[in-house]
Amino acid sequence: MLQKKICMLGSFAVGKTSLVRRFVESIYSDVYQTTVGVKIDKKNVQINEKQVSLVLWDIYGEDDYQKMRWTYLRGASGYLLVADGTRKATLEKAVSMEQRVRDEVGAIPFVLVINKSDLIRDWELDPALESHLAAQGWCIVRSSAKTGEGVEESFSLLTRKMLG
Amino acid sequence: MNMAHVLQEFLKEMGFALLEYGGEGSFLPLAELPNWFSEIWDDAANASGGIPLAQQSPFLENFLLEAEEFWNSPGSAACQSETWIERSHSGREIPVQAKALFLEGKRIVALFSPVSQFREQVKILQTARNSLLDHERLAREIQKKEILLHCIVHDLSQPLSVMHVAMDSLSQESISERSRQFLTLGKHASGQQETMIRQILQTFSDDLSVSLDAGTEGSSSSDLFDCARKTMSSLEPVFQAKGVRLAVSSTINPAAKWLVVAEASRLQRIFANLLENALRYTPAGRRVTIGAEDEGDFLKAYVDDEGPGLPNDLRPEQIFGLFMKGKQSGGKAGLGLYFCRITVERWGGSIGCVTLPERGSRFWFRLPRATGQVARSSTSALDSRISGAPKRAPLAVRPLRILLADDQEDIRTLTAYQLKRNGHKVVTAKDGKQALRTFGTSTFDVVLLDQEMPGMTGDEVARAIRKTEVGKKKCVFLVASTGNTTSEDARQLKQAGFDEVLGKPFRMEDLSLLLASSQASASETRTPSFLPAVPDAGIAALLERVGGDEKLLKRMIQIFLRDTPKRLAGIAAAIRRKSPDGVASIAHALKGSVSIFGAEEARKLSQELQELGRSCELSRAPEILASLKEEIAKLQANLRGYANQTPARSESNHNKRQRPSRNRGKRRR
Repeated sequence: MLQKKICMLGSFAVGKTSLVRRFVESIYSDVYQTTVGVKIDKKNVQINEKQVSLVLWDIYGEDDYQKMRWTYLRGASGYLLVADGTRKATLEKAVSMEQRVRDEVGAIPFVLVINKSDLIRDWELDPALESHLAAQGWCIVRSSAKTGEGVEESFSLLTRKMLG
Repeated sequence: MNMAHVLQEFLKEMGFALLEYGGEGSFLPLAELPNWFSEIWDDAANASGGIPLAQQSPFLENFLLEAEEFWNSPGSAACQSETWIERSHSGREIPVQAKALFLEGKRIVALFSPVSQFREQVKILQTARNSLLDHERLAREIQKKEILLHCIVHDLSQPLSVMHVAMDSLSQESISERSRQFLTLGKHASGQQETMIRQILQTFSDDLSVSLDAGTEGSSSSDLFDCARKTMSSLEPVFQAKGVRLAVSSTINPAAKWLVVAEASRLQRIFANLLENALRYTPAGRRVTIGAEDEGDFLKAYVDDEGPGLPNDLRPEQIFGLFMKGKQSGGKAGLGLYFCRITVERWGGSIGCVTLPERGSRFWFRLPRATGQVARSSTSALDSRISGAPKRAPLAVRPLRILLADDQEDIRTLTAYQLKRNGHKVVTAKDGKQALRTFGTSTFDVVLLDQEMPGMTGDEVARAIRKTEVGKKKCVFLVASTGNTTSEDARQLKQAGFDEVLGKPFRMEDLSLLLASSQASASETRTPSFLPAVPDAGIAALLERVGGDEKLLKRMIQIFLRDTPKRLAGIAAAIRRKSPDGVASIAHALKGSVSIFGAEEARKLSQELQELGRSCELSRAPEILASLKEEIAKLQANLRGYANQTPARSESNHNKRQRPSRNRGKRRR
């Protein structure tokens, strides 16, 4: 079976672990539990009649306390860049991380996942920036690990991109 | 028991798994494996021959790439992994760390599970990140509340104003005694409602102040340039993504002191809002420049973009209005620039924007330079009303010529009706521009201006009116009617040139009190704020004191004009240096100097500064210095006018000189 490594990248508390848990185990918890270190999960999916084993690297959110080790991206076929729609700075961080990934490992497929769509009334993202990124060819999915909205879609879209 | 056995037992006890790397992801255990290892990889651990750990653990597989580099270049830095989480067969999460070693020519990997250290790390990071999230949430809440507060103050007070004036009007009609009782009840209830709204708002406002002051340890000064740099750093990636360059103006001096009256996190939000606005309108390949300028008592920051410039259909002040969005590349809810405006104004600053001559636009704001602890503004008349200060009985008011401007028709109509009933002559205007035009075509004793009017705000009209009065002896009594009733609001309105501030909703008796005070001021030959402070009689007396020697007087004026700015700058510098002795000494010299010219208000302020210096209590000094500067500016204007207009004359024509100046004092209108 084809195996693909996917990294989850983004600021802390954007919902990377929740997205993985929702995708792999269909579980969601409202309690924020910070990720320290790296957690790896696997899930088999079928895309275009191909069985693919996804190895999901849930990497701690980068902040002043923990800096990302870019070696974790070695061998990654793609990554989900996760931002929190209710925190403008996390999108800015995501944009910055995309540039750093390009510098470190080159251009690999990615999908920008703007999470917490269940809190859409509290969103503070600039639609102009979102449109601008979309115009630049970024794939953007709005998701909610809480309701499940956009979760499967995010992983499927990325897998399709990775398979070319 | 041999040593090797002891070592093995020790490693097991400490939870270490010591493995020799055999290549291709396979390992040979060098000692008995600890329990946690078996919990995760029991199948592999029990396998005969090498343990294919890399197949079992993608993280370890990745780590081996680093370890290989380490083994291939012995002597390089230690190779140790961060913590990663493995799951046992029962689903328990087990933290693991790996360390690559090169011992006696063997490639060794030591695995261990730092459970307690990991738990401690999780605890610390969880607390730190929860705090960060709370802080972010609080900052967002505060921004929302500030905007809400502003809207409530304005909108809630409008209908209440109408109710008050309507009931006042009714009470003056001929109605039955029973109706009058109902009316009294209604007035009482609406009065209670007004008090409650004001108390709630005041509490809300105080809460905000407390929230915003929290963490700043009572200090409200921030480094303008530092805040700009931090904001630029956080937004840099977004600018890069859009292909817009973000630069600092080359004219800025980073080594200079850029301390302003502001709270750092909100100041950064202002910069962020302005930069995001600039980015929205700047095409790729162009530049956004941030800069700052020293304007003496104020520091000015600006953000220049290379976009299309300001829209033709909007005036600069409209751009900072509530829910104002550009038509192209529109922002979110039109709150960002509005937030900038209310925040900057609350700190005693101003904000604006212009289209740049070449291309693009400049969004700027100006904030008072921080010279020490920020003084709280004095309590306005309105505040004392809110706090329940007893009301004075209405005074008898002689008929006045009143210009009344309010964009809300019902308030305008009712207030005019009331004023006319009280015998005043009233001309109304429906907006600021009309008010200013009307003011220029007739003579008024009092101008009552609503603060928030379309086209031209009450503040702008007040400033424009005061400008037209420069050089005149008497000026109109300006009253602001506003829903924005905090002490800070009142202070700013007074700065704009208003004599009094009337909080909305207001009652006729409040207005009558103000009208009476306007007459009292007039009878005291009130000196307008922007007019020379020294009456002609003062000059005449001074001339007499120097024996009518105008040359000598002019010489004294020249010295005063030459030395005073240096003294004012000296006081400001002493305040900045926190040197009470310096303040006291220079203020003393200045006091003597202004006393010569009979500028009583300036003398009092100098005296006050001198006393503050002597008591080593400089917290109010910046505020008093600002007032002193205003007074001295008036005095200087007057003295310059005298020096320029008066050729040296002989003693005999000294009396003639006074006549033209009296004529000058008459109204032009």
